[in-house]
Amino acid sequence: MSTTETSAPWVGRSIPRKEDLRLLRGRGQYLADLALPGMLHLVFARSAQAHARLQAVDGARARAMRGVVAVVTGEDIRREIQPLPIKVVQPNLTAKYPTFWPLAVGKVCFHGEPIAAVVATDKYVAEDAARAITARYDPLPVVTDVEAALQPSAPRLNEDWDDNVMFSVDFGEDVSALMAQADVVVRGRFRAHRVGVTPLETRGVLAQWAEPDGMTVWITNQRPHVERLALADVLGIPAQQMRVIAPRDQGGAFGTKAPFYREEILVCYLARKLGRPVRWVETREEHLMAVSQERDQIHDLELAARRDGRILAMRDRVLGDVGDAKEGVYWGYLMPFIGAALLPNGYDLPKLDVKLRCVVTNKSALSPARAFGSFPSRFAMDRAVDMLARRLGLETADVIRINLIKDLPHTTATGVYYDSGDYRRVLDTLLEKVDLPAFRREQDSARRQGRYVGIGFGTGTAFSGVASEVLVPVENQPGYGAATVRIDPRGKVFLAEGDAPHGQGHETVFAQVAADEFGIHPDDVVLSYGDTTTTPFGSGTIGARGASYTVSAVVEACRHLKAKMARILAHDLKLAGAGPEDFDFAGGEIVYRRDPTKRRGFAAHADRIVMGPLDLPAGDSGGLEHTAFFEAAKPMYGFSAHAAIVEVNPESGEFKVLRYVTMEDVGRAINPRMVESQVQGGVIQGLSNTIYEQFVYDAEGQQQSTSFLTYRMASAADVPTVEVYHADTPCPLTPLGTRGLGEGVPGPVPAALTNAVVDALTPFGFEFTTLPLRPERIWAALHGKAAGGAAEAPKVV
Amino acid sequence: MYPAVIQEYLTPTTVDEALDALRRRPRETRVIAGGMSLMQLMKARQAEPACLVDLRKVASLREIRIDGAGVRIGAMVRYKELAADARLHGAYGGLGDAARTIGDRQVRNRGTIGGNLCFNDSAADLPPVMLALDAQLEIARTGGPHRTMPAAQFLRNPREVDLGEDEILTAVLLPPAAPRSGSAYLKYGFTVDGPPVLGVAAAVRLGADGRCAAAALAVGGVLPRCRRAPQAERALVGHSARDQAALAAALETAAQEVDTHTDPWADGAYRKVLLRQLGGQAVAQAFGRAAGGA
Amino acid sequence: MSKPVSITINGQIFEEDVPLRLLLVDFIRDVAGLTGTHVACTWEGRCGACTVLLNGEAVKSCMLLAVQADGENVTTVEGLAADGQLHALQEAFRDRNAIQCGFCTSGVLMTAVDLLAENPEPTDGEIRRGLVGNLCRCTGYVHIAEAVAAAARAMRAAPRP
Repeated sequence: MSTTETSAPWVGRSIPRKEDLRLLRGRGQYLADLALPGMLHLVFARSAQAHARLQAVDGARARAMRGVVAVVTGEDIRREIQPLPIKVVQPNLTAKYPTFWPLAVGKVCFHGEPIAAVVATDKYVAEDAARAITARYDPLPVVTDVEAALQPSAPRLNEDWDDNVMFSVDFGEDVSALMAQADVVVRGRFRAHRVGVTPLETRGVLAQWAEPDGMTVWITNQRPHVERLALADVLGIPAQQMRVIAPRDQGGAFGTKAPFYREEILVCYLARKLGRPVRWVETREEHLMAVSQERDQIHDLELAARRDGRILAMRDRVLGDVGDAKEGVYWGYLMPFIGAALLPNGYDLPKLDVKLRCVVTNKSALSPARAFGSFPSRFAMDRAVDMLARRLGLETADVIRINLIKDLPHTTATGVYYDSGDYRRVLDTLLEKVDLPAFRREQDSARRQGRYVGIGFGTGTAFSGVASEVLVPVENQPGYGAATVRIDPRGKVFLAEGDAPHGQGHETVFAQVAADEFGIHPDDVVLSYGDTTTTPFGSGTIGARGASYTVSAVVEACRHLKAKMARILAHDLKLAGAGPEDFDFAGGEIVYRRDPTKRRGFAAHADRIVMGPLDLPAGDSGGLEHTAFFEAAKPMYGFSAHAAIVEVNPESGEFKVLRYVTMEDVGRAINPRMVESQVQGGVIQGLSNTIYEQFVYDAEGQQQSTSFLTYRMASAADVPTVEVYHADTPCPLTPLGTRGLGEGVPGPVPAALTNAVVDALTPFGFEFTTLPLRPERIWAALHGKAAGGAAEAPKVV
Repeated sequence: MYPAVIQEYLTPTTVDEALDALRRRPRETRVIAGGMSLMQLMKARQAEPACLVDLRKVASLREIRIDGAGVRIGAMVRYKELAADARLHGAYGGLGDAARTIGDRQVRNRGTIGGNLCFNDSAADLPPVMLALDAQLEIARTGGPHRTMPAAQFLRNPREVDLGEDEILTAVLLPPAAPRSGSAYLKYGFTVDGPPVLGVAAAVRLGADGRCAAAALAVGGVLPRCRRAPQAERALVGHSARDQAALAAALETAAQEVDTHTDPWADGAYRKVLLRQLGGQAVAQAFGRAAGGA
Repeated sequence: MSKPVSITINGQIFEEDVPLRLLLVDFIRDVAGLTGTHVACTWEGRCGACTVLLNGEAVKSCMLLAVQADGENVTTVEGLAADGQLHALQEAFRDRNAIQCGFCTSGVLMTAVDLLAENPEPTDGEIRRGLVGNLCRCTGYVHIAEAVAAAARAMRAAPRP
């Protein structure tokens, strides 16, 4: 048995995870653990230049090596593989979409772009061969700065474009009059650096072509059903011959495994061409160079307010550096787009003027990271609110509160619909937990002893799943959650979902839900996922869909089957007029409420319906299986508020997080300890992103952060513990009242930390608007030395 | 990801066998100790030795001897052993400090003092400790006696040491602990236990009056190489641990005399801030240990 | 170029002729077929996902050649459970919900075994310092540190023979 717990209800209990039983024993089934007979190994050769015409790629030495089966370049494949963009992974938004193949054709646009691939019988030999590939480049001027890329004289990545602007969007209206009339206007240039949430498992693809079934490909991927369509289209494979399987275990993703990338196209192509399975396992170096770079936005933000702190208008000019943007589904720009749409955050801001421009540069395309483009916007907005409070001599928490949306549902001036919640309650509960008045007294007393402690707040509305209403226009994909439930003659329940979890514990959570619905034990419920042939269509494990959409689909499918079982039992027991609501499913039995002597075992009844479908009520057939698609009418959002308490050493700029407290409104936690772990993980990602991690390019576009020595992630010794609390506000739109959680957790972190440091250094009149938040930059800002950190004046763009 | 093809892998059991092994493929041979640095180079294909001479079976290189003549640490002694050796306190405290904060547990289970010194990365922990403790290095070569040289001479520019192709570093020698002496090592690694952005090793000997009679202050994480700060050292002489202003002034002198560079982890100005701060703490700890504290 | 090696892994001897450059982690995964030990960085040896015990001490198996472990004893995560019973650390990790994606887990477990062997009563700070060599992206380390502490208490209460 997987758990020693024996009694319902299961939802709301922190039962141990089913997944752990294999993961603890080292029996996870990750992509790199999969092998097929005759399998070959693929290694990419990547561009050494950031921007250049690719004159020639010479694979002769590589081809001559023993064990090398094939070497291909862009020229070899350009007529054999459809280039992107293709419709199924192209948003329904107007933007310039660059054309690209899986290997560079004609030119290279970032340091690390794939230019060739080697396939060999041994992975060590494949690397030897890849290193033996030479390329002749004709260098072009490089542009790595987003503002430089906007200049008319800037080098152009795409010669058929008249500039480097890929996408623009305006929200709101002209607010100049309001700004002119306001009691106070605060302005700042807020920069969030290039950083992302690299998962511990890199990407990988294992493809096999076999007649007549076609292509079976295992991919580290969050969205197997979408991936399948894209691969079929790009490779010209009939859809019925295309099968994508996301492995049962994936080592995290956080958005990096959601796009449609170059690499899987090429691996599939070669598997088919060579007639042998081909596997590519990405190195960390490739991963850091080619994916997981996100954020990288500049916000020239202004807030106009009344003397009491009520914001009257907001104006923001946003620049997003999207790299070469050559990536299916997201194209680099969807993240800054959503980030701009979420700028209002949880604030009631009917008057705003937001203009976003997404600009291509000679860098890797932005790929999604947790908080999906809103990490910079949260930082900008909540720092500006903090600056406003300081200018007015008010408590930041009070200014946040006075501006929070009071009544939900609410549609922001950027068109985002927030369905439900009580944002003020979340903030108030957080404030109770941190006891702000007591902290202010401690702060005073510490200052008199020459110690500098501070408190800072950050807030964030975050996806709780994403509905079709948003996904269809934005990504050309549906948003419903899908689940199949099948009950077998022994009363065991088999679930299948269309999404692909990668650490979220769906096997456990969904089993808890189904167990409660049917009155059975979670051990008797088994979940499968990842295989496009055997699961219902789903748009993927993204945007915190699990507990919101997909769980709700599970519930609806279970309830459909319960209704059928109830009907048939009423018929069998001759209970005229009894409906599904008259039966309890509990303790492995189905019991008639009005006369509990009338009952039948759940397994026995399943057996009767599946194996012995005789004498059924009119209108019912045998069998117990149902697929449900759940979609809330409108997209759903959660809200969270974070508080950080820090102590800063002004001599060195070093700071220590003394306490980090979060308040979430997940609605109803199915497995509370799992929720806690998700939040802790998201906060620490946010902290590591804010302080330690940064993707760096030099002036020649050469990437400087290509290993874990140069892209530094926080270890256990670098981070504090995280306290997680809930202000329960059930979601009215889902059958269990659950919200999804996870996507947005890192969003409030940079503001919470930076606001805390600013608060600690209040006596010094310190400001800070450019991430990362590092001791050196804090020190420099304190001592008036130039270089990053000091508050920059906004530029009008 | 993977090293280039290796033609030979040898595991000599004595220093003489190891020296013979080095001569089989001149210019194509590397010695491997714990491998914590060399494997990085090999996997990144920045080193492609055709022949590896692994010293793991040379038992004589694993001994630590401490007596009246001083300390003799075999080149293959691991950080783990240095970190746990209770005898490395007081005068030798800085060595224990460094050994305890290199890398991580797994690195400390493999990495060796000899390997760290022969690699001599600019962001390495042991070189400044060697300078502050006036270490001598013992080197063996074929057909000749051992030679001994000061660490300061051995440790040249980053990744460069005074060691011939046919030579092996066999031991680190530290002078006997003078009475009333103490040393300490502190660093800023950006992340905890990371490679030093700046590291300071301080050693102090007190006179009978409790005042500093001699001091050594060595700074690592600077270019062109780790170095002592002689003016700062002189400024410490004659002061006691209580002379806060004098100690601060000495560290200010250190910050002036040591050139600091800018790289992604810190700019030159901030490295000086670190030098003052870490140096002040290291000096205070050295004083404390010299006075008989832990 | 290649050499026969004999490495005992979890008590079982594996003998194979291997290229001199074969990494120990690849011997474990591809020759011995034990895929619980993972690879997650390139040449830097920083992430710790490949951690195993070599003669009882935690080492990063991607930073050793298989030939360097010739004749030695290796323990991987697959060797932690004894007679079908989970190690106290494995029980504690499950109990305290210290796993999400699981990719770092085996490495963390092996380092924790080494840590507790040296320090059976570590503080939270000592645990965290001891895990510097094991990066985790999912959990934020909180439940991991709690689980190691819980395992330490359990191991002190009921030592394994």
